[in-house]
Amino acid sequence: MSSTSHEVAQGPHHSGGAAPSALSAHSIVKRFPGVLANDNVNFDINAGEVHTLLGENGAGKSTLAAMLCGLYQPDSGYILRNGERISLPSPRAGLQHGIAMVHQHFKLVERFSVAENVVLGSRDLNFRIDRNTIDEKVAAVAESYGLPIDPTAVVGELSVGQRQRVEIVKALYQGAEILLLDEPTAVLVPAEVEKLFENVRAMTAAGKSIVFISHKLGEVVEISDRVTVLRNGQVTGHVTGKGSANTKELAKLMVGRDIDLAPQRASHPIGHEILQIRDVSLTLNGVDVLSNISFNVHAGEMVGIAGVAGNGQRELADTIAGLISPTSGSVSIGGAMSTDKGPIHARELGLAYVPEDRLGVGLVPSMSILDNLLLTRDRDFVVDRASLQPEASRLIDQYEIKANGPEHVARKLSGGNAQKVLLARELSGGRTATKLLVVCSPTRGLDVGAIETVRRVLDDARSAGQAILLISEDLDEILSLSDRVFVIYRGAIVHETPGETADLATVGAAMAGLSSTTSEGHN
Amino acid sequence: MRAPFRLVFEQRSETPKYLAAVVPIASVVAALFIGVIFLFATGYSPWETYSNMFQDGFASSTGITDTLGMSTVLICTAVAAAFAFQMNLYNIGGEGQLYMGMLASTWAGLALGPHLPTFVMIPVVMIIGALAGALWILIPAYVRSRLGTSEIVTTLLLTYVAANFINHYIYTSGSYFRAPNTMFPQGRLVADSARLDPFGTTNLYPTFFFVVLLALFLYWLVKKTEYGYKIQVISDSPRAAKYAGINANRTTLSVMLISGALAGLGGAMLIVGPVGRLDPGITALGYGYAGIVIAALARNNFSAIIVSGILFAGLRTGGEKLQISTDTPIHIGVMLQGAILLFALGGEAFRRYRIKTIRTKVVAQ
Ligand SMILES: Nc1ncnc2c1ncn2[C@@H]1O[C@H](COP(=O)(O)OP(=O)(O)OP(=O)(O)O)[C@@H](O)[C@H]1O
Ligand SMILES: [Mg+2]
Repeated sequence: MSSTSHEVAQGPHHSGGAAPSALSAHSIVKRFPGVLANDNVNFDINAGEVHTLLGENGAGKSTLAAMLCGLYQPDSGYILRNGERISLPSPRAGLQHGIAMVHQHFKLVERFSVAENVVLGSRDLNFRIDRNTIDEKVAAVAESYGLPIDPTAVVGELSVGQRQRVEIVKALYQGAEILLLDEPTAVLVPAEVEKLFENVRAMTAAGKSIVFISHKLGEVVEISDRVTVLRNGQVTGHVTGKGSANTKELAKLMVGRDIDLAPQRASHPIGHEILQIRDVSLTLNGVDVLSNISFNVHAGEMVGIAGVAGNGQRELADTIAGLISPTSGSVSIGGAMSTDKGPIHARELGLAYVPEDRLGVGLVPSMSILDNLLLTRDRDFVVDRASLQPEASRLIDQYEIKANGPEHVARKLSGGNAQKVLLARELSGGRTATKLLVVCSPTRGLDVGAIETVRRVLDDARSAGQAILLISEDLDEILSLSDRVFVIYRGAIVHETPGETADLATVGAAMAGLSSTTSEGHN
Repeated sequence: MRAPFRLVFEQRSETPKYLAAVVPIASVVAALFIGVIFLFATGYSPWETYSNMFQDGFASSTGITDTLGMSTVLICTAVAAAFAFQMNLYNIGGEGQLYMGMLASTWAGLALGPHLPTFVMIPVVMIIGALAGALWILIPAYVRSRLGTSEIVTTLLLTYVAANFINHYIYTSGSYFRAPNTMFPQGRLVADSARLDPFGTTNLYPTFFFVVLLALFLYWLVKKTEYGYKIQVISDSPRAAKYAGINANRTTLSVMLISGALAGLGGAMLIVGPVGRLDPGITALGYGYAGIVIAALARNNFSAIIVSGILFAGLRTGGEKLQISTDTPIHIGVMLQGAILLFALGGEAFRRYRIKTIRTKVVAQ
């Protein structure tokens, strides 16, 4: 591991000992019931620097960030701002010290305009709000960091990437010098990630500090000046210097072994048709969400659907799962018609479904892991929890879920571990043996080790003869797992190609709607 | 000017178990303390008042049986409220459903009582009372489950309608329910076969044991059965319910109907127990509203309701007897009831937040 010392563009040199760090945390300990989330963690960041927190799911990254911005309080340890000791009893106190966090789940008021959201909660508001003035002020702040946004746009109508920008502008407007971005790229498409990174560079050039959290190692290599690796709540590694470690090294540093994410394809001839979709169209509130979709997925085959978020993927998955009735067309699973018959019927035909949203759709936040396993299974009138206990414990081990046991409440799991619970339930079969598996963004928010596990499990399911429909925005994932790849654009399938020979550029162009080969060959 | 320290609310990541018991007890203590201030201000001795209340509510043998007797209906209306509340359905019309349950079971006692033996009549009266309560919430339940119309407004408004209904049957001369020859309007007593005997000379009826079993049954229903599981899923995340194929409309409807039926059953218990007729005094007692307070105090936990219901009944019987034994204002009991509700709801803040004092220091620029 190289650790070339690296001069940061404008910030003070941290090893020089002259100027203190912009923000530093010392011997931080944070304990949750049954978990030591942060164990004697030291962390510091200089002005103008991007410092990345890297680590497995449940390593304690979000917890550390939450303490740096005042959301949680450490059990012991202390925090210095420009060398002076500060206490951060609340996020508001964090803001007073120029520290703000952009959470993965945005906290914006959808009905308000961008400018209204940005000024919301700032102390200098008068009773009467002069819209023109705040619009101008907000636009000016945004412009100065190269984050153009329309202050009058209604937040509810913005894309995820734009909303994230609003959160960042809000933090800057409130005077943030240090921004904590918790998995900001998990919800962005590649073009938006590029845009975000331009913004990050503009902000660091202006002397701001960025604490960045991500599981995507390519991004980490690209943007970080320094990387701190956490494992089981402890700091286990440092990398200093932009681009001084490659993704493979980072992965090893993180999980302590080599990671293999090589492409995998169906290894034996595929079987008969399991999922048949015929001319499915869906119109919601007068908008055509899906138009004339037809394709099949065979036993032992994985079909990938690539596309930019919001092009009908979610609705397609919900239609197959029986949650939405298509306006026209039909869906059948294992030869039996499942259109209009509801989700339980679809599951009885052998469907398992990992939806895009985990907490709130796939999982019930207030319920335990055990009760969440029951969500899509047959339940007797008197719910028999005791007999599920061993299986729950086994799944927790198998998927390496960091939890106190089957009684751990879903809301209190780290983001990646919640995703693992959902996958564990859906992949372990429910009412009947699984024949068809519909998985949406299965590895979003997972660490590389877990991604490897999930890919192996998906591949095993394929080898066992299950038909798999993989819907993801992660093009790498689609291309390295799928036997056939479809591209969905504005609710229609606009491109089809075998996975093995798929060309990244062509598929990318089709995702952007630049495809010349419109629907052919899949009818 | 700056205070040297400041109070801050810090969100708890986990609510300690002991707070589940401490908060309700502290609510009661705090309410009693407010009562002290009022009693002082109005020139009564707080110590004497409270010790009389305690004596009359819990410590004497007639006191404790009166209290348990009183708690019977209160527990019933409290489980009615809690059953809906646990699914974030705010049925605050338990009062009206209780009136209708009372009206229907009085009818059963008057019309069927003379023809049927006690062991048939008692269940019949209770079932008819429960059905009437369910019927009274049917419309609010239906529009809530189909259209999302606020059940708070509809159930409350129907309570006034129900109050007018029973007043009509009591005060209209020649009414089927009215006793013919009394000076003041009064209801006709139902047939003996529709009444249970109290234990000895007390005011405690066997319905008390029934209602305790009922509360325990509901506890089991919610914690251990698939029905309770569905309720939990829907109340936490409706979208997860949809994903799992759980029919939220149907469950909403059934939960509200059961809530109404339980309140109606409370009315029936008054008929088979201590009251035995359509009594004009019922509208002053507010059993339905008190049930809401008891449910809140117990945080909708059905087994805790048994305890908070008895506690509450003790305050009431103690308060009522004050009026007879001393010249203390009886309204102290009602006032305490309101204060307890406020503190119990306010106590939620303590369960969710930790309150800390921090020294304020000028922020270094
Ligand atoms: N509010 C909480 N109550 C109890 N345990 C918690 C709570 N929040 C986090 N934890 C636990 O603390 C540990 C660290 O969680 P944290 O959210 O910091 O992980 P993370 O590194 O951000 O992981 P991920 O990459 O999956 O988001 C986990 O084991 C988690 O289960
Ligand atoms: Mg996290």
